[in-house]
Amino acid sequence: MSTTRQPRRGAPQVRLRIGFVLIAMVLSVFGGRLIQLQGLDPGSYAAMAAAEGSRDVVLPATRGDILDRNGEPLAESVDGVMVIADPALVNTDEAGNPVDRAPQLAKLLATKLDVDYVTVLERLRRTDTRFQYMARSVPAAKAAHVLDRARARGFDGLTTQRDPIRVYPAGDVAANLVGFLGTPLADGTPQPLAGFERTFDSQLSGTDGSARYSVAAGQKIPLGEQTVVEAVDGEDLTTTIDRELQWYVQRVLRETVYGARADSGVAIVMDSRTGEVLSLADYPTYDANEPLESDEADLGSRAMSDVYEPGSVEKVLTLGALVDAGRVTPRTRLTVPSSLARQDRSIGDWFDHGTIKLTLAGVLAKSSNIGTVLAADKFEGDELRDYLTAFGLGEPTGVGVRGESAGIVPSGSLWTSQTQDRVAFGQSVSVNALQMAAAINTVANGGVRVDPSLVRGSATTDTGEQVGTETTTSRRVLSEEAARKTMLMMERVVDPDAGVAPRAQVPGYRVAGKTGTAQRASSECGCYDDTFTVSFAGFAPADDPRFTVYVVVQNPRNGGGGGSVAGPAFSQIMGYALRRYAVPPTSTKPSDLPVEW
Amino acid sequence: MPSPVSTAALRQRAPRLAEAAVERARLTVVPRARTRAARVPFVSLVTLLLLGGVVGLLLFNTSMQQSSFTATSLEQRATLLSAREESLGMQLENLRDPQVVARKAQQLGMRVPAAPLFLDLADGSVEGDPAGARIVSPVLLDPRPAARPSLLDPPATVVAPAEGVLSDGRGDAAAAERGGRNGAEARAEKRAEKQAKRAEKQAKKAEKKAKKAKKAAKEKAKKKAEQRAKKNRDA
Repeated sequence: MSTTRQPRRGAPQVRLRIGFVLIAMVLSVFGGRLIQLQGLDPGSYAAMAAAEGSRDVVLPATRGDILDRNGEPLAESVDGVMVIADPALVNTDEAGNPVDRAPQLAKLLATKLDVDYVTVLERLRRTDTRFQYMARSVPAAKAAHVLDRARARGFDGLTTQRDPIRVYPAGDVAANLVGFLGTPLADGTPQPLAGFERTFDSQLSGTDGSARYSVAAGQKIPLGEQTVVEAVDGEDLTTTIDRELQWYVQRVLRETVYGARADSGVAIVMDSRTGEVLSLADYPTYDANEPLESDEADLGSRAMSDVYEPGSVEKVLTLGALVDAGRVTPRTRLTVPSSLARQDRSIGDWFDHGTIKLTLAGVLAKSSNIGTVLAADKFEGDELRDYLTAFGLGEPTGVGVRGESAGIVPSGSLWTSQTQDRVAFGQSVSVNALQMAAAINTVANGGVRVDPSLVRGSATTDTGEQVGTETTTSRRVLSEEAARKTMLMMERVVDPDAGVAPRAQVPGYRVAGKTGTAQRASSECGCYDDTFTVSFAGFAPADDPRFTVYVVVQNPRNGGGGGSVAGPAFSQIMGYALRRYAVPPTSTKPSDLPVEW
Repeated sequence: MPSPVSTAALRQRAPRLAEAAVERARLTVVPRARTRAARVPFVSLVTLLLLGGVVGLLLFNTSMQQSSFTATSLEQRATLLSAREESLGMQLENLRDPQVVARKAQQLGMRVPAAPLFLDLADGSVEGDPAGARIVSPVLLDPRPAARPSLLDPPATVVAPAEGVLSDGRGDAAAAERGGRNGAEARAEKRAEKQAKRAEKQAKKAEKKAKKAKKAAKEKAKKKAEQRAKKNRDA
């Protein structure tokens, strides 16, 4: 039997060997593949396997709102999308034949999404691309509606992608402080370009989350892979601004600048007790929703970035300091000549007069430069300079506004007796508007200077500084008695008989204030040109101050001064603030300090 | 240790006892009593369990899939609704814009007073200056229209015609139009010019008529005189 089969099958050993070799070959192929998969770069294969049938989604973090002191939004985020079209799909019908649907779709999009018909049509007709923006920053609800409509009409090839929208519901209200965002990047990352949006971006922006899950036929697979990293939404930023008041202040300021045919203006309302800035208005301003439509120079805050010489408003600080130092009283008698010869030049007053006899109160009420210089002669050494520094001049307020200028108080060898003469009535010293408002507020707050603040609570700027109401400090600059006496002198300024600014009065209230009309220094000639900065700073009710208001108008061309240009604006703004916060009149007798003797 | 006597006695007795015991204790092979448990209930139980498990698992999976679909569609709906809520909120914010509110208030005739008055509800007294409450001024709501860019108003090109060349009236008008006046103004001017021309024409016409009439009258008088002279001559 075996002899007959042997030639056909061969020896068993041979057969076994051949079999083993075959098996070994197959196994070594398997082994090689195994090494290839697991030995060399196993990570990428694992990733490829995981990616098969799974989907990664970015869970966008919502950008924090910027709110006013009452929680009203100054800036808020809305879910938005960009509408994208694939021209190739749009211009192909169901059967795959080319058709010209571009005009119909362009018409639909132009009417529904407020986009330009011709632009959209041109984009839809392009053949070299399969990705064309149709509209950006469309509210999600609106986009969904339009896409449904398009689908119902048989248009194919429209998709949406996330494109968050930032809206500024009140338009230009506080725009100079709040800032704006640029066009988001393609992945929806916002681009903060100015103001608080940029300064506090790390607080506002939050962190995007991500989700990864298995998908089949467009549906999540239950029990499939599912990992979610929740997004951390940005935190809201609450400012101390009062939106309604800010709106009114901006409108009054604009009207004032128009009326005076001026270049620009600033108006500030401060809570006298806390130093919180209720309103900081700039004109010209811009619509935060359409920043590109305005001049680039108008996008910052002039109140913080522009410095100027405060002029006579500064006399309040000089005389307040003199009273505090005990050198004078409001009734100190001064004989004021028609002009005062000093070392390098003669000092004159804004009004022509012979030799007049004014009390210190009269010097302030009539805004006499000569009287102020005579009184300031009683300072010893750098006393005035120390007082001004204590009032906060020459150092940034640190409220968290970008590009703040600190202003200049001459120091060291620059502080000569001539300099002191000029500084005493507000020349040779430069300030920004908020510094000056805070300095005047010192008198309103019983001699204690409170740091102004624009942010409620505490926030960290992009340079790492802590700002806000929680970080403000206060220091006593004037004694309570000196502050009260200064207030009584300031009250004479708005007196129709004694003072120069009766139009700054608020009917029924006691108002203390001071006008300012300063020559403007021109950077071109390095001298005073013939333009002026007019201003009015004051507070009310004078004997229990609640608000300090400061109005500055640059380069009025109607020949007006601080009393006639800024005074009425002060009165309107103060009246509105007192009404809005229901501050009743104090019903006490106004100051009747003598102005002459 | 047991005593030798007792063991010997036992040995004597043992075979007899053992025989009986062995006789009694002999084991026999008993046929296995196979009580066959009923197979049907067990198999059906297992089948039932298996079937139940499989069907249950299937149903469970299906329902989970179903709820997953529902969850997805509900999520989509929630997204859509929240987007809608957001856009409605946006509309609401637009209506609450101080500018919009102020505009509506001013249209209703409301004004901002210079100072407030306070009514004491306890004794009905009024605090504040009533005169101040009467000083009202409307708020200027809108900015002035933006200034016309100078690009649109380039300086006028004045073309002095060369000596001996008549100035072309049409060209002058076109130059004036380019010279910064807007269309309406230019049109109004043209209209006025036309009217003036028409008036001039009419005046000329009237003058001509008057002349004609004069001429006619003269001629008539002449004829009459001639006739009279003829008559006189005839007479």
